[in-house]
Amino acid sequence: MLECLCYAAFESGKRGLPVTLALITSGRIPLEQLMRPLRVMLIVVVGLALVGAVVAVRLSTPEPSQETTTSGLTEPGVFAAQQAQQGFDPRQLLDQGRGSIKSPAGPHEFYFTRAIYSSGWGYGRWAVDYPKADRQFMTIVNRLIDVDGSPSENAIRLDDPEIRKFPFLYALEVGDIALSPAEVTGLRDYLLAGGFLVIDDFWGSWQWANFEQQIRQVFPEHPIIEVPLDHPVFNTVYRISEVIQVPAYGNYWGGRTWEQDGFEAHVRGIFDDKGRLMVLINWNTDLGDAWEWAERPEYPLKFSTFAVEMGINFIVYAMSH
Amino acid sequence: MFESFFELLFKYRPLMFEQGEFAFRASWTGGLAVAAIIAAGVATWRSYTQVRGNSQPFDRGLLTAVRLASLVVLTFCLMRPVLVLSSVVPQQNFLGVLIDDSRSMQIADRDDTPRMQFVQDQLATTEGALRAALNERFALRFFKFSTETDRLDVVNELAFDGTRTHMGQALTRAYDELSGVPLSGLLVISDGADNADDGLAESLLPIQASGVPVFTVGLGREEFDQDIQLGRVETPRRVLRGASLVTDLVVTHQGFRGQTVTVQAEDEGRIVGSEQVTLAGDGEPQTVRMRFTAGEEGPRLFTFRVSPQPGEMVRQNNVRQSLVVVEDREEKLLYFEGEPRFEVKFLRRAVADDENLHVSILQRTAENKFMRLDVEGPDDLVGGFPRTRAELFKYKGIILGSIEANYFAPDQLRMIADFVDHRGGGLLMLGSHRSFGQGGYAGTPVADVLPVVLDEARGEGDESFFVEVGVEPTRAGASHAATQIAETEDASAARWRELPPITIVNPITEVKPGATTLLTSDTSGGADELVVLAFQRYGAGKALAFPVQDSWMWQMHADIAVDDMTHETYWRRMLRWLVDGVPDQVAVNLPRERVQLGETVPVFATVGDANFEELNNSSVVASVTHPDGEFTDLPMEWTAETDGEYRTSFTSTTEGFYEVHVEAMAGDEVIGEDTAYIQVAPSDAEFYDSTLRSSLLQRVADETGGRYYTPETAGSLPEDIQYVGGGVTVVEEHDLWDMPALLLLLGTLVLGEWGYRRFRGLA
Repeated sequence: MLECLCYAAFESGKRGLPVTLALITSGRIPLEQLMRPLRVMLIVVVGLALVGAVVAVRLSTPEPSQETTTSGLTEPGVFAAQQAQQGFDPRQLLDQGRGSIKSPAGPHEFYFTRAIYSSGWGYGRWAVDYPKADRQFMTIVNRLIDVDGSPSENAIRLDDPEIRKFPFLYALEVGDIALSPAEVTGLRDYLLAGGFLVIDDFWGSWQWANFEQQIRQVFPEHPIIEVPLDHPVFNTVYRISEVIQVPAYGNYWGGRTWEQDGFEAHVRGIFDDKGRLMVLINWNTDLGDAWEWAERPEYPLKFSTFAVEMGINFIVYAMSH
Repeated sequence: MFESFFELLFKYRPLMFEQGEFAFRASWTGGLAVAAIIAAGVATWRSYTQVRGNSQPFDRGLLTAVRLASLVVLTFCLMRPVLVLSSVVPQQNFLGVLIDDSRSMQIADRDDTPRMQFVQDQLATTEGALRAALNERFALRFFKFSTETDRLDVVNELAFDGTRTHMGQALTRAYDELSGVPLSGLLVISDGADNADDGLAESLLPIQASGVPVFTVGLGREEFDQDIQLGRVETPRRVLRGASLVTDLVVTHQGFRGQTVTVQAEDEGRIVGSEQVTLAGDGEPQTVRMRFTAGEEGPRLFTFRVSPQPGEMVRQNNVRQSLVVVEDREEKLLYFEGEPRFEVKFLRRAVADDENLHVSILQRTAENKFMRLDVEGPDDLVGGFPRTRAELFKYKGIILGSIEANYFAPDQLRMIADFVDHRGGGLLMLGSHRSFGQGGYAGTPVADVLPVVLDEARGEGDESFFVEVGVEPTRAGASHAATQIAETEDASAARWRELPPITIVNPITEVKPGATTLLTSDTSGGADELVVLAFQRYGAGKALAFPVQDSWMWQMHADIAVDDMTHETYWRRMLRWLVDGVPDQVAVNLPRERVQLGETVPVFATVGDANFEELNNSSVVASVTHPDGEFTDLPMEWTAETDGEYRTSFTSTTEGFYEVHVEAMAGDEVIGEDTAYIQVAPSDAEFYDSTLRSSLLQRVADETGGRYYTPETAGSLPEDIQYVGGGVTVVEEHDLWDMPALLLLLGTLVLGEWGYRRFRGLA
């Protein structure tokens, strides 16, 4: 039956539907003749669908890692609970074959830690590029500077007290971030105690507006200001003389570096009462993608180089200032 | 009382028998009488042995013995026994009378009567009993002594306001003045509270050699009924502004056992510290530790005071003062880190607000690539870790982080060791996988300096050591300045135990002999104890081992409140202590912090070059600023005894604070400078340990052949000096035959014989 319908559709395209139907019902086109060319088509289509499904599942499911951390998750945030109800729980990404380490220092001085936050889009935006970008970036970091860095990813919730064991934090795709009260408190305490947060990969004025509204819950008293190029963060290891807009891997296929109305990259920051940088905001740029796809020859080297240099500067700055 | 009874029986005082010699002075008639008594004795013996009657042998023996004894006594008397004595010729000899003129003589510890009352009653006028008796026998020469010794013409002129008691000097002065005349002896009237810097022994030698006896009269009480004394106070001479001063005070008392008193510290009248102390047993020294902050810059006179209690005999000894120079300067440290680490970030933040600490950071980010933070100028540390002593020794402290020993050239490792040993700096090594044994430091000169025993570096393939531990202070750490993270010792110890665990990757369990462990790992879970913080003095400096990888957890951990300052307090105090006392190229030293008006102040200075090698040919000048603003420039000369040491002195002419500023030059180049302060004020030593020191006075008397007296026994002093003293003497013979004891003995024997015979029916 399916095959007949496929053949009918194929022939209709050639002769027109009414003629095709007349030929089929009159028996002038035998069934076997109908079936033969369509079988191949059907096999091809079904095969492609299966391949696509496998690829899609593989990309969305992280592989088990030997060095991970659990955060002792106990009280999920409001939005994370909603996500769980919707069938996706970000914590599941951490629950597959995870072990736990006893201490943050463990055998390593530095862990590239990704913040798990609540967002309003119904799925884990925090996990974009995760974990490939994290692992790949740390592989590069460990080669280029003499830091005792863990080569593995590490993700933790903003409202988890264990986050205080990781003074460096990375968060991206914050355009739809929607912080719970516990996450606001946790992040604020974290930063005031001495933590450092790098924000990345969110675009356009609409996403900025949402992010700004959320982050002002954390620091209503501190403005967000442009970080000048003579700030030490641009000179800790590499001298950054220009802020380049780093495109997402997929977007660059089209030859452009911007998304939505985010035409110009900005590096902004939130400083504490003593003028120390606490939050470094990379807006209208996607450093994470550059880390993730640095090995791809079609991804311009200049973007990867810039992103790596910026990232290394962020890390060394966070560990010394 | 014994003497009185003795004199009653034996006619003369025991002193006369001690000084005199026994002899017989029988004439020919006496000899005849003795012969007759001997004959009578023989007859007695024959009669008792031959005439038996109804007597028993025992009776006859006893009666014979008694009779013979009485005859012996009689014979003794007839032999004319005498006591031969040398007696000074009245008015032919001198007697030096030394009267203590110090403040301690004002203490009223006998029936509310001051000690000086004895002098006023007995010696002030010629009507005084003691003076009158002495005047009959001797020519008196009076001296007063306290800080100095002077002749005294009128005893009533004594003011008893001397600030120190220098008895040795007084004896020497009096002996020197009177050694050319017939001297019967020296009489010292004092409470014996000698507080001179030098001892008495040297002063007594010539007096002993010449045989001049010293007689002493002790005034006061050996023990007060009720008194509290604030004894020794130990404070550092110099501290940085804002430093936490840890001061040890010694409190002793009599009669206030179990009572709680308040000990206060004042800074120019402002109370800066207070402790409640429950007093222990009588006479038992009790150490009180006080903590307060040195706020204002400059020479600060801190006053420590114990609240006076009702009934205290002496209140002047409840107060002590100590001069502390508070310096507002920036001490420089170098922190060398071999890799990006969070310890750098949080250490910088901890000391950022401390204006007296400047930590320059050299951090290796990649091979041969360094980041410099908080350096003094664009060229500072531009070549990496210092390669010359001059460059390294300009720092007061060095912190080594995660940097392996192989990074340094052998000369640099030796230089780091010399930084501690020779330069006197402070070295701190932090824990990491490239520190201590893991960093390959075992067997290097740096290992010699460190206070801990290092294991050989673990080879490749060895499982890395890693443990997460809590921390607790040792007994030494509970009170040490570097580990005080709370206001009191108890609060600090409790706070250490509350802090979140940290990680250790350097398994250190053993410290070197002489090193002190301040912090250890918590062993409550049964784990082995690890050293967390230890130090030792090495050469002129000190070295600390802190094998902790992430002390920043004491700032970041979720159990630590955001506004908690424990982490900052720990690092500031630890680093301040690390550089405390580290000398500069030029350092001035005043041996004493306080002198009296008119005393000479010696000034010493040590001078070294940029490598801290001693210089003996520098031009060194001490500029002295007097309290009245007057300036005096004094050139300093090399002492020739110690390399690099220079000396000068000046005499204090005004009370107050003197500033001594020393500058050393090599040609036209200034090597360095330093400033010290000294206080010129009356000494308060007289009221401390001011009880009667009878043992000292007794010793002086015994060693010179004199005698010791109290006010109650001083009545016999003139006669005793007459027979004990030297000078122009005459031999006297005193009869002993008429001693009441002899008469008593004779009567007892005769009556006893008669009584026994009556009793036995033999009469």
